[in-house]
Amino acid sequence: MTEPASAQEITISRVFDAPREVVWKAWTEPDQIASWWGPHGWTNPLSKITMNVRPGGAFRIVSISDADGTEMPSQGVYREVVEPERLVFEEPADGSWHEGAVSVVTLSDLGDGRTEVVLQATIHTSDDMRAQAEHGMKGSLDRLAEHLV
Amino acid sequence: MATDQLSATFAALADPTRRAILARLAEGEATVNQLAEPFPITVQAVSKHLKVLERAGLVTRGRSAQLRPSRLKGEALREAADWLAGYRRFWEGSFDRLDGHLRQIQKGPAND
Repeated sequence: MTEPASAQEITISRVFDAPREVVWKAWTEPDQIASWWGPHGWTNPLSKITMNVRPGGAFRIVSISDADGTEMPSQGVYREVVEPERLVFEEPADGSWHEGAVSVVTLSDLGDGRTEVVLQATIHTSDDMRAQAEHGMKGSLDRLAEHLV
Repeated sequence: MATDQLSATFAALADPTRRAILARLAEGEATVNQLAEPFPITVQAVSKHLKVLERAGLVTRGRSAQLRPSRLKGEALREAADWLAGYRRFWEGSFDRLDGHLRQIQKGPAND
């Protein structure tokens, strides 16, 4: 049986053929974010991007669907900014398509000009679900979790 | 994507009593009185929680006037799981594009 919480934590990693400083700038400069933020088929107009990359600073990126013009805002607050290796941002539980998440982005210098980026995202409800499971409702929640698979 | 529906689902799931009610309903349908039994709260309070769960599409209630047993609906929870899959797609797609972007800007020192 899968833990209910495991479905609520997402880790994605990728090795990029670029030095860490270059990758860091791609994450922290609006005109670069504009080129890659969001899934395929979405465009990010520079005029709709604001980023204050410092702890406590806010960001907002509005992605627009190439297919039908639908707007998909991403917004949140930077919690940790450690150039060029660690970026933590929190997206609130409203107003955003991928909402209610804390994402930790770690950039590792592989020493050969490449950089590994690991994104660990935790959806807020996962902690609640796990706390609940630990409070003795595990059996019932396991059954409930079957609906989550 | 029905963001409002998902917000309602996650908001409904954020409350421990409502999760407990869902867990109970995962075992089979139950009336408000049956649902209230294990909780130190009133039947009225349980009824309120049921309304939230109903609005979130997580629960349906029977038509019979007096008992109106509640039943778990799987779709909303499945949609929440789909949302997580969507989150993953968002980042997989972003990383693909970041890869392309990094290749592009490193092609030559004088781009643009």
